[in-house]
Amino acid sequence: MRAASNHLQLSDISVSFSGFRAVDGLNLGVARGELRCLIGPNGAGKTTCLDLICGKTKPSAGSIRLDTRELTTLEEHQIARAGVGRKFQVPSVFRELTVRENLEVAHCKSVGVFANALRFGRSTETDGLEKLAELVGIEDRLGQPAAYLSHGETQWLEIALLIAQNSELILMDEPTAGMTAQETRKTAELFLRLKGRHTLIVVEHDMGFIREIGDVISVMHQGRMLAEGTVHEIEADPEVQRAYLGSGGISHA
Amino acid sequence: MTKRGNIQIAVYAFVCLVILLLPFVLGNDYLLNRIARYLVLGLLAMSLSLCWGYAGILNLGQALSFGIGSYCMAMTLKLRTVPVQTGAGGLPDFMVWNNVETLPWLWVPFHSTTFALLAGIGVPVLLAALLGWFMFKGRVTGVYVAIITLAALVVGNLLVIDAQAYTGGFNGLTDLAQLELFGITFDAYGRSTYYLCAICLTFSLFAALALTRSKTGLILQAVRDQENRVRYFGYDVAHYKSFALCVSAGFAGLAGMLYTVVMEFASPTFMGVPLSLSVVVWCAVGGRSSLLGATLGAIIVAGMQNVLSEQRAFLETWTLIMGAIFVLVVLFLPKGLAGLSEAIAGRLDRSRPSALVSDAVTVEKNIALPEVRR
Ligand SMILES: Nc1ncnc2c1ncn2[C@@H]1O[C@H](COP(=O)(O)OP(=O)(O)O)[C@@H](O)[C@H]1O
Ligand SMILES: [Mg+2]
Repeated sequence: MRAASNHLQLSDISVSFSGFRAVDGLNLGVARGELRCLIGPNGAGKTTCLDLICGKTKPSAGSIRLDTRELTTLEEHQIARAGVGRKFQVPSVFRELTVRENLEVAHCKSVGVFANALRFGRSTETDGLEKLAELVGIEDRLGQPAAYLSHGETQWLEIALLIAQNSELILMDEPTAGMTAQETRKTAELFLRLKGRHTLIVVEHDMGFIREIGDVISVMHQGRMLAEGTVHEIEADPEVQRAYLGSGGISHA
Repeated sequence: MTKRGNIQIAVYAFVCLVILLLPFVLGNDYLLNRIARYLVLGLLAMSLSLCWGYAGILNLGQALSFGIGSYCMAMTLKLRTVPVQTGAGGLPDFMVWNNVETLPWLWVPFHSTTFALLAGIGVPVLLAALLGWFMFKGRVTGVYVAIITLAALVVGNLLVIDAQAYTGGFNGLTDLAQLELFGITFDAYGRSTYYLCAICLTFSLFAALALTRSKTGLILQAVRDQENRVRYFGYDVAHYKSFALCVSAGFAGLAGMLYTVVMEFASPTFMGVPLSLSVVVWCAVGGRSSLLGATLGAIIVAGMQNVLSEQRAFLETWTLIMGAIFVLVVLFLPKGLAGLSEAIAGRLDRSRPSALVSDAVTVEKNIALPEVRR
């Protein structure tokens, strides 16, 4: 698990919010190209874990390495440049900008303010962006402000933004929340296609979805890593079942 | 979008053309000077629109940059006048009255007009860079930015008034020579000055428009919308916001320099709180997220102010009227006159039935919003 070749390695990460330990000595290693599911009852610290990786929250102890790079000392934009993309639990897109503009912001080779001041209009990349919009089924919304999208479409847009951003490591926080069963299946397909080229960490509740996409599943509970294994191993694990007691069992969490 | 973009360029070009051709219709030099003044204020409003409307940075101290530009120009022009007491090359008159014996070091480089022109833009830009760095690296946002910039303006204003021996204090810098550039003398009441202002405004409008349409412009709008999201795409938000503040300050500095040429003096009121707040009103009235809207907003409101305040009846009530306009616009026209004209254009465009249908479909799709799944 602590193989040196891991793409992402969290070691003994802790963080507290006014005394409450939301993440407590967490260890997590993810290999390059892996699709890792992260599950756990509400309040287990899954979102906080992603916050720690992308720099939104700074850990009080421990280290986070992307390949050989230490992330905990970097600012959010530096972490993003190092190759980490993040989808938020509450879909977070630029509502005043059009769908196309959203994609243009996400897809950018250069991040410097002066270089971008001399970069105008549409280049060859817009073709790719249109294909991407087609992929997630919002191609006829390209010219509209993102505020006009439905909740499901906003989820899709943010997923498209992450694909446009093209990070090596993609963090997805409950990407299928608010999607229909059919849309969820489509998301699963998409993630399976991204796997291999990207490393993915997906926080999910829907066990059906997890069965479709997951190889290795990590289970968090009260800020710690409770178990790691295949879907079968996890479902059979008595400790996991105990953790989910009171939240209605693992499949309904 | 490209079509909309082309229309936008056409509208900008049309307005600039009207401004540039005005002297052929208007023979009255006094009136031209007045209008040149409004054009400069329009440029000032445009500069605020760039950082407030596009990047979401409400800079209440925009007049600080304007004032600095104005003083830079006034200093070099003052050094070109021949003082009564000390003769050619001597000390400016107000320094003699304040018992200053040698020209202060701050004034020396202003013997060069080129230096003054560079400083008029450069000093505001540097100051904005400093302020921006301090504020945006520390993640100061929203109303706190407004308070800090306003405080910076007040400090600058007090410093200028206080250092009477070096700045002329309350009186400012008066009795200036006329600006000479490339062999042209810019008489405030001549056409050359009008053209100088009109050309600077045209150039600035198009330069700013180009910036807003660049990738940087797009990212600034994303920052205005949700700056925290922008960071996770790898952009250094502090850089982008500081950049917007600097460019905006540069345009305001240019406007300040032109204002001195048009008004033939510099005064601490040019970097006063009332002017700075007026700029905010002009932007709001014209439409803060439209460069041209803000420009025209300034020209219209400042023009109206001038016409009305010449009449006795309105002299005292002008501030009240201005306040009322601001409240009405904020309540009923959140996007200002530019938003109003866009809405009207949109209506005309949509009066075709097919468009109406697609509109209805859009609305329906939006209503079917809550997709519940557990
Ligand atoms: N910014 C914060 N301030 C205080 N408490 C927080 C904050 N963020 C998360 N928490 C707490 O940390 C715990 C873990 O939250 P979270 O990571 O969102 O859980 P999950 O995503 O697994 O449902 C929760 O008890 C939550 O209340
Ligand atoms: Mg969560």
